[in-house]
Amino acid sequence: MRFLVLLVLLVSVSLADVRVVVTYPWIGDLVRKIGGDRVSIHVIAKGTEDPHFVVPKPSHIAKLRRADLLIIQGAYLEVGFLPPLLRQANNLKIQPGREGFLDLSNYVQLIEKPEVVSRAMGDVHPEGNPHYHLDPYNIPLLAEAVKEKLCKIDPDGCPLYEKNFEEFASRWRSKLIEWNREFSTLKGVRVIAYHSLFNYLLKRYGIVLAGTLEPLPGIPPTRSHIEKLLRLENVKIILVGVYNERRTARFLAERIGAKVVLLPHDVGSLPEVRDLFSLFDEILRRLKDG
Amino acid sequence: MADIMIQSLLLSFMLLGIHAYFGLEIVRRGIIFTDIAVAQLSAAGLALSLLLFNEPSQLLSLAFALLGSLLVALSQRKREYSEAFIGLLYALGFSSVVLVLSRSPKGMEEFLRLTASDILFVPREEILKTGLLFLAFGVLLYLRRFIKNEVLREIHFFSLFALTVTTSVKLVGVLVVFSMLVAPALVSLIFGRGLIFAWIYGAILNTAGTLTSFWLDLPTGFFLVFIHAFVSALLFLAKVSLRV
Repeated sequence: MRFLVLLVLLVSVSLADVRVVVTYPWIGDLVRKIGGDRVSIHVIAKGTEDPHFVVPKPSHIAKLRRADLLIIQGAYLEVGFLPPLLRQANNLKIQPGREGFLDLSNYVQLIEKPEVVSRAMGDVHPEGNPHYHLDPYNIPLLAEAVKEKLCKIDPDGCPLYEKNFEEFASRWRSKLIEWNREFSTLKGVRVIAYHSLFNYLLKRYGIVLAGTLEPLPGIPPTRSHIEKLLRLENVKIILVGVYNERRTARFLAERIGAKVVLLPHDVGSLPEVRDLFSLFDEILRRLKDG
Repeated sequence: MADIMIQSLLLSFMLLGIHAYFGLEIVRRGIIFTDIAVAQLSAAGLALSLLLFNEPSQLLSLAFALLGSLLVALSQRKREYSEAFIGLLYALGFSSVVLVLSRSPKGMEEFLRLTASDILFVPREEILKTGLLFLAFGVLLYLRRFIKNEVLREIHFFSLFALTVTTSVKLVGVLVVFSMLVAPALVSLIFGRGLIFAWIYGAILNTAGTLTSFWLDLPTGFFLVFIHAFVSALLFLAKVSLRV
């Protein structure tokens, strides 16, 4: 009898569990902060991986198939791996447009959107820069979107989600004061970046992006591009992501007297970065050292 | 999940079926990099279409692959050096991709997304379609024996090879195709056996590889490549050292 009660309890507990699949670790952390123990989370990509390319594993399909909710970064970032995984998972609940699907890029203002969207101009990326989570002002907006969605999917858990969201948002607000103060000391500093990974952060705090190492993603620099970079003056820092190669950055840094700074872009991309708070703490620490 | 596993298995058997046949011929002639060269030229065609029309064109990609296969067929006139020539074709294709894309608005990213392929990505309808296509290629391959002219025979063989490889590389990527092509054929040849042996041997590895990758949750495509390369290299070494 006691066993039966236990079994019923177990079943009801696991029924309350919202199974969430997210594409990137920072989204997973956000969902954990809001959802607490009521949600189970599966993260598809690793923090150390290039977010554009994810090697698919069988478990990705299995988790998507059983998921109640799929949360993605959107803005074409996942286009190389998610559509086929989603098709293979064959789970109607989490298809785009359904209730169990959340595209976080809809909740923030994307930058670098081309003014005129024309295929002839080659603007095959009309959404803009997808790395919007690196603007700390965006995180509370995204947390709220996650909370709203969780409330819709699991109304019973809504009071908990509300409470967690309030806690998270207020903690974030107080951190934001500290970050604003610290990051603003970097205002006007000129940097070169490997590519457009950190543009939201730079824009938010007035750090000047003087150039990018690669003229185009995946294309090594040409003579004229390198000459242009070498002519840049007063560049203090060259930013690289954890998955970028560093030789090109070091080559340039030596010649223009700058320092190469490796920045985390996601939770888990470096061992120090355990959650969204430590993500921005670590970015700040490394930028100030640099 | 069983359905995805069965799909992957089915796809791997289909790939094995036709590639083991080509593989025996390719390994016997010592021109194993033909597939990589042809695939790379087809990629160059795809990159060019991105630059010219701003959208991928499978037709241009196929045209480049066929051109590549024609060149490989031609190189057979000087067999002792043809592998060097094929290597150059590969380098030509690879560098063209980067050069062409350096002039395109989006660079490599868009291209890599377009060419992202994995054995786990292939949906059922695609598997069935590919199966029918390979069946047709198989029939055409069988008809090869009725072609009397030597040059035509070579062109026939290499064009079918190009069509097969571009189809399969698009589905599962160049490494999986390469291992299905070379590994079963190599083992079969060093043990003095034929196509049936290559099929049975390959099927055993495909089954073991797919099941293990699902069991341990490893990337299925790469695990298949690994197990084919590892076991075949081991068998090769065993055979060679036993003989000495």
